[in-house]
Order: sequence, then C-alpha cells, then structure tokens
Amino acid sequence: MANINATPGESHLAHHFVDSEQQFDSSKLGMWIFLVTEVLFFGGLFVAYIVYRSWNPELFYMSAKELSTIMGAINTVVLIGSSLTIALAVRAAQLNQQANISRYLIATILLACVFLVIKYFEYTSKFAVGILPGELYTYTGIDHPGAPIFFSIYYMMTGLHGIHVIIGIGLMVYLLVKTRQGSYNAAYFTPVEITALYWHLVDLIWIFLFPLLYLIE
Amino acid sequence: MSSHEHHVIDLKYLLGAAAGLIILTILTVGASYVEIPRPFDLLTAMALAFGKATLVAAVFMGLIWDKKINTMALLFSLLFFFLMIGITLLDTLFRDRPFWIYN
Amino acid sequence: MSAATKDFKIREFPVEENPKEHYLNAASGLKSWLFTVDHKRIGLMYLASIIFFFFVGGLLALALRLELWEPARTFMDADTYNRVFTLHGAVMVFLFIIPSIPAALGNFFLPMMLGAKDVAFPKLNLLSFWIYSFGALFTLYSIAHGGVDTGWTFYTPYSTSTGTAVISMTLGVFIMGFSSILTGINFIVTVHKMRAPGQTWGKLPLFIWSLYATAIIQVLATPVLAITLLLLIMERTLGVGIFDPALGGDPVLYQHFFWFYSHPAVYIMIVPAFGIISEIISTFSKKTIFGYWLIALSSLAIAFTGFLVWGHHMFVSGQSELSTIIFSFLTFFVGIPTGIKILNWVATMYKGSIDMKTPMLYAMMFLFLFSIGGFTGIMLGALSVNVHLHDTYYVVAHFHYVMMGGTVFAFLAGIHYWWPKMTGKMYNELWAKIASVVLFIGFNVTFLPQFVMGSQGMPRRYYSYIEQFQTLHQTSTVGSWVLGLGFIIVGIYLTISLFSKANKASSNPWGARALEWMSSSPPPHHNFNHTPVVLHNPYDFHKPISEFRLGIDGSDNHHEHTEVAQTQPAEKS
Repeated sequence: MANINATPGESHLAHHFVDSEQQFDSSKLGMWIFLVTEVLFFGGLFVAYIVYRSWNPELFYMSAKELSTIMGAINTVVLIGSSLTIALAVRAAQLNQQANISRYLIATILLACVFLVIKYFEYTSKFAVGILPGELYTYTGIDHPGAPIFFSIYYMMTGLHGIHVIIGIGLMVYLLVKTRQGSYNAAYFTPVEITALYWHLVDLIWIFLFPLLYLIE
Repeated sequence: MSSHEHHVIDLKYLLGAAAGLIILTILTVGASYVEIPRPFDLLTAMALAFGKATLVAAVFMGLIWDKKINTMALLFSLLFFFLMIGITLLDTLFRDRPFWIYN
Repeated sequence: MSAATKDFKIREFPVEENPKEHYLNAASGLKSWLFTVDHKRIGLMYLASIIFFFFVGGLLALALRLELWEPARTFMDADTYNRVFTLHGAVMVFLFIIPSIPAALGNFFLPMMLGAKDVAFPKLNLLSFWIYSFGALFTLYSIAHGGVDTGWTFYTPYSTSTGTAVISMTLGVFIMGFSSILTGINFIVTVHKMRAPGQTWGKLPLFIWSLYATAIIQVLATPVLAITLLLLIMERTLGVGIFDPALGGDPVLYQHFFWFYSHPAVYIMIVPAFGIISEIISTFSKKTIFGYWLIALSSLAIAFTGFLVWGHHMFVSGQSELSTIIFSFLTFFVGIPTGIKILNWVATMYKGSIDMKTPMLYAMMFLFLFSIGGFTGIMLGALSVNVHLHDTYYVVAHFHYVMMGGTVFAFLAGIHYWWPKMTGKMYNELWAKIASVVLFIGFNVTFLPQFVMGSQGMPRRYYSYIEQFQTLHQTSTVGSWVLGLGFIIVGIYLTISLFSKANKASSNPWGARALEWMSSSPPPHHNFNHTPVVLHNPYDFHKPISEFRLGIDGSDNHHEHTEVAQTQPAEKS
C-alpha cells in the first residue's frame, strides 16, 4: 500500500488531524466505543430476558416452541454470510479493487434484505394467530398467565435488531453510492471499515438472539 | 509512522471464520434437539454462541490484528453487562428468601 | 512506531496579549454560531442553553419553596405542585447538570488542554448540541402540555397510568441521552488520540482525567437509560407489561434499570466538578498538586464503583434482603476514592501561597459543602439509618449539598476561573466575592433546615405538612430567596464584564501552568498558532513559565497540516 501520510493536500483529511493514520485510528476507536453503547443498549433487553426466564422457565420453554427454528437458522446463516461479504468489501477497498467493493456491498445489502423478508414472514404468521406484543396479544395456545411477556420481549429484541438491520442497509446504500463515485480506495476507506464494524455487531447480537429465543426446548 | 499500513486480512481467515460459524450454527441447532438436562442445555447454547461471537469479533472485525484498545472497549462492555445482570439477579433470584442473619 | 523518533526543533512561542483576531470574531452572523464545528463556540452555545435551563429550573424551585410557606395551600394546588417538582427535577438533572460541566466547559477546554485544534469528531460535536436542543424541545412541549407529575424518576406503575405527558417527556430525555453519548465518545477518542506531542497520560491536567472518567460513565450507562425509557414508552403505548404487575411484570425491575443509569449519572454530574477543583486549588496555591496519580485514578475508581451501588436507592422498594445488604456494603466503598481526593486537595494547600481569588473562594465553599453532602451520603448508605430517612427531606438536603453545593459551586468556580479565557474580559472581583458569599449563606439557609426536618420525619415531595415544621420550611424558603439574589448578582456583573471595554484580561491572569493558559485570551480560531509541545506536568509551578509555552518550530496552525505531519512525533496510544 502506498504511503498514505506524505501525500500533500489529501482531500479526506480533516483540518484538525495531523495525518491520515490519526484520523483513521480515531474514527475506528470512536466506532468501537459506539459499539460499546450498543452492547449495553441491547444489554438492558437481555437483562429483562434473563430475569423473566429465571422467573418463568416453563413459559419460555412453551413459548419458544411457537417460533420456527428453521427460519431462525436460515436467518442466522444469512447474517453470517452478510458479515463475510462486508468483510470482503473492506478487503476489496484495502486492495484498491473498486468494482469488488460495489459487488460485495450489493451482496451484503441483498442478504440483509433476505433477512428482513424472512423476518416479515415470521412476524405475519405470528400476527395471524394473535401473537402480538403487549395487550394486543390474543393467542390462546399457550397455557400460562404470563404468556404475553415472552412475546413482548421477543418483539422488543427482534424489533430493535430489525431496526438496526434497516439502518445498516441505509448505510450500505450510501457507501455504494460513494463507491460508485470512486470515493474509497486503499488510502481512504474509513467509512467502509466502520460500517462493517457496525454490521458485524448486528450479526453478533443475532448470534445470541437466535439460541435464546428460538432454541429453548 | 509513515510506514504504517492497514492490515489486509488474509482470504483464508475470512473464509475459514465463515465456515466455522456455519459449523457452529449447525451444532447449536443440533444441540437443541438433544436432550440435555437443565441448566446445561442453556450453558451449551451460550458456550457455542460465545464461540461464534469470538470468531466474528476476532476475525471479521479484525481484533486479532487491531490495536488492543479496541478489544479492551469490547471486553469492557461485556464486563459492565455482566455486572448489570449479575447484580440484578442478586435481587430477582432471592426476592422471597429472607437473609439468614435476620432469623 | 518506527518514524516516531524523527527529530524536530522546539522553541518558545510568546503569547499574544489582547489579540485582534480570535475565535469570537473569526466569523460572524447567526449561522457562524449555529453551524460551527468549533468546539469553543459549541461549548459557549451549550453554556448559554444550560444557563437558560438553570434559570427555568431555578424559577420552578423558587415556586416550590414559596408554596411550602404555609402548611396547606399557599398559591398553587397539589396537582400543580406535583408537576412543578417533577419539572424542577427533570430540568435540573437532564437539561442542566448532566451537560453542565462536560458539554459547556469541557467542550471548550478539553481540546485546548490537549493542545489539539478541535475534538476528534467536530461534526458529531455539533450534532450532539443539536440533538440536545431537539430533546429540550420535547421537554418544553411536555411542559406546555400540562407537564408530568411522576417525579423525575418516572417510576412505574404510576408513570404508565398517569394521564400527564410522560411519553413526550421521556422521549425528550431519550433523545438527550444520545447527545450525552456522543459527547462521551468524542471526549474519549480525543483524549486517546489527539494529545500534544510530549503530553503523556501522566502530564494530563486533572480536569481532563475527570472528563475522561465522566465520558466512560456516559458511554456505559446512558444506553441503559435509553432502553429503559424505550421500554417505558412501549409500556404506555403497547402495554408490553415488562414493568406492570397487572400483566405479570415487575416494577422493581424498572427501578433496577433506571438506577443502573441514574446512579452512575450522579457521578457524571460530580466527577467533572472534582476536575475543576483540582485545577483551581493547585493554581491558587501556587503549588504542585499533591498526589497527582491518586487524584487521577480515583476519578476512574469512582466511575467504576458508581456502577455497583445503584440499589441503595431501592432499600425500601421490596428488593431482596440479600441485595440490599450487598448494595449497602458496596456503597461505603465510594467514600474511599472521594476521601482520597479531599485529602489531596487539602494537602495541596498545605504550605502553599494561597491566593483567595473568587474561583478559589468557590473551591473552598465546595470543599465545605461537598464534605457535608458526602458524609450524609455515607449515613444514608447505612441500611438501618436509610430505612428511617428514606424519602425524607434529609435525602433532599443530601443530594442538594452534593449536586448544588458540589457541582454548581464547582461550576461557578470554573466559570470564574475560565471566564477571562473564554471571553477575554475580567469580571469585577469585589462583586464576585460578594456574590459568592451571598450564595454560600443562601445555600446553607435553604438546605441545612432540610436536614433537620428530614431527620424529624418530614417526607419529601409532600404538598402539605404538619405545623411543627413551619418555621424550618419558612427558613428554607427565605434561604431560597437569598440564593436567587446571589445568582442575580452573578448574572449582572458577568454581563457587565462582557460589554465594558476597559477590563481586558491578560492571557494568564492566575499564573496557571496548563496548556489553555498558554494561548491568548480569547484564543485564536485553532486554539494555538503553533503545534504545542508539552515537557512538564501542568502543575509544575517551580519551573519557569517559558518552558510551558513550547511549540514545534516552524509549525503554523493556520496553514495546511501536511508540513506538520512529517515532523511531528506520534506517541499516541
């Protein structure tokens, strides 16, 4: 890779940084600290999950049976695939392969959309039988007084995760447009890198949501 | 400083991590069909999930090759999450048990 | 790093007195403020906003005190009273005190103390101000729509059933949380990556250490508040039932969630104040700070311990006896790092050449008031005492001694300390001293009686009270007027100092050693006209001041960065 510092007048370098490396490291650390806040943001919901599961283990065993393991598993694989493709997009940027950045970004966006489509089918099939969050819950198939609680937590967790997926798609569409304009190359690919970090976190959260929500026997 | 280069992650690591994640996912689903007594079913599932999370963080997110401060940030978030859940459970699990010293 | 050893020449850069060009006149017009990415201007905009909300919260407090003049109704009905104390709390906590020192003074001085041109992410910094303003609009909207009557803690199940504007209020607080998070991220990254050449972690001013510890709390705790309020909003709109006992939920869990944020948030409020006090006590004692590392690390220790003790707000909530005992035990540990700080400040003054200027006067008042607030906190942390004093005026007095006697007095100390640097103007010293004494008297007259009332069993948040307490309540109310008078005096002489022409401040009126004083007053647009280099600890008063004004020879902050890039060493971590 070329020496990224000594090139005078690099357009991406903001005035208050000394050089590109300082700027890159700062952005990356900033993103990591943002991910810390994301972990604790979802953490609150995980705490609610753990507390209610420890109080009502039977309810959780009964309710999880309503969720489709197959769909959850497919979605897990889809998200892992999208994590791989965005990692490859970063690699393409580092290697200055402009066309590949676009390709991998498109692949990631498509996989993210597949995830949402599957999620849509899951939600609608639940809505159809009256499994809705909170007081809208009308399903009678689970014989437990606290039955709505599990699904409230389920909808909060997957809903919040889904919002993160949608935000991720938006970010990657932006990256795609900028890539087409030739904004990213081996010397400057910070936005691709930090968006990839964000996307991996979305994957990480799902890695825990999947066994906790779908795989309770 | 000018000699600094960003680490380009080798293709074999990325593909290897993806393959490992798929295998662990299959194991996770498989384990859910095996009758494991509680609470070991949950522990197995969580151990597999942490294995997968480690793969994603270490390889995909590049923490192996990155500055240590970023790994520290992630570990700190986990530490404080565990503090939050651990201390909360001290309440919720012991709600109806009087403390021995009062008896 | 291999290239870090590259040679460069340093020389002294004399400071320009009363510069013609500075950040205040670098650009003009409303847009140059509203869309600026200059951390100094953003800091001033924050300062103006928080002073406005302090004024709003203060008026509400005066109204509360006035209502308590008579045991029954004085001039407002009970419902209004509930809304007014809720708003007083919410406005003071979320709109004033949490952003107060970090977002206003911190924004202004953190980059300057590091010798940086700006924070790491200037646009995020501006965004954080806009998010704060946007959240504040929601709060004002809730006030306009009848306010909220839940208390600033929004405890369930009342907050999910009351008919008042809980959703818009909590949404406002939720939004402002993001502003706090962005500030925290910005500060952490700036401290890690943007320090001046030579400025190792051991040469950071203690204000920076305190802001760093604060930023860590902001980043770790605020997301939990966000999810809590989101769950509360969901509870109200969809009835998700996680906190509602009628739906199988648990209201105590809400309190766990809420205090997991709000107890550390107490340290978001007070730790930056510690930083200001460290700066001021060392400067006005003309003496190296005693126990630099202990003060620096005790901030981090407070930040950490602060996450372990939230349940001491919930001793009578019905949480398990086991956790009650553990929380009480852990609470005492907070006293250790705090005690270390107090000891070190006093030791710094020992045999120093103490100059009782206004900032130092405020710092002394801080020591006195904060010690009372701190010790009563330890008493409240003791289980059996707490059960007696829980939800009485004793608690109200305790946290006002910490939050107002501590943070607000330190904030005033900071304002007076840095006023000449921020504005280039010096205020009237005599009036400043008079005002500080008025504030000190007013504060104690207001809140000391509340300790007495509380210990005798006067519950907080009550609209009416038995006649036995009337004298104490009336004393407290009179004190609140004295406090109000004190703030009016401060407002008047500070405003006058802005507009009068004669009182230009020098670049270093207090003879301090930290980097922000090695720039002109007011500072230039990029803080320094050179790249500063740090050799000494910022409290090395025994070393000549010329050795604190060093910079890289030939560096010029007006021009492009590329020339500097090749000469500057990079010992950042």
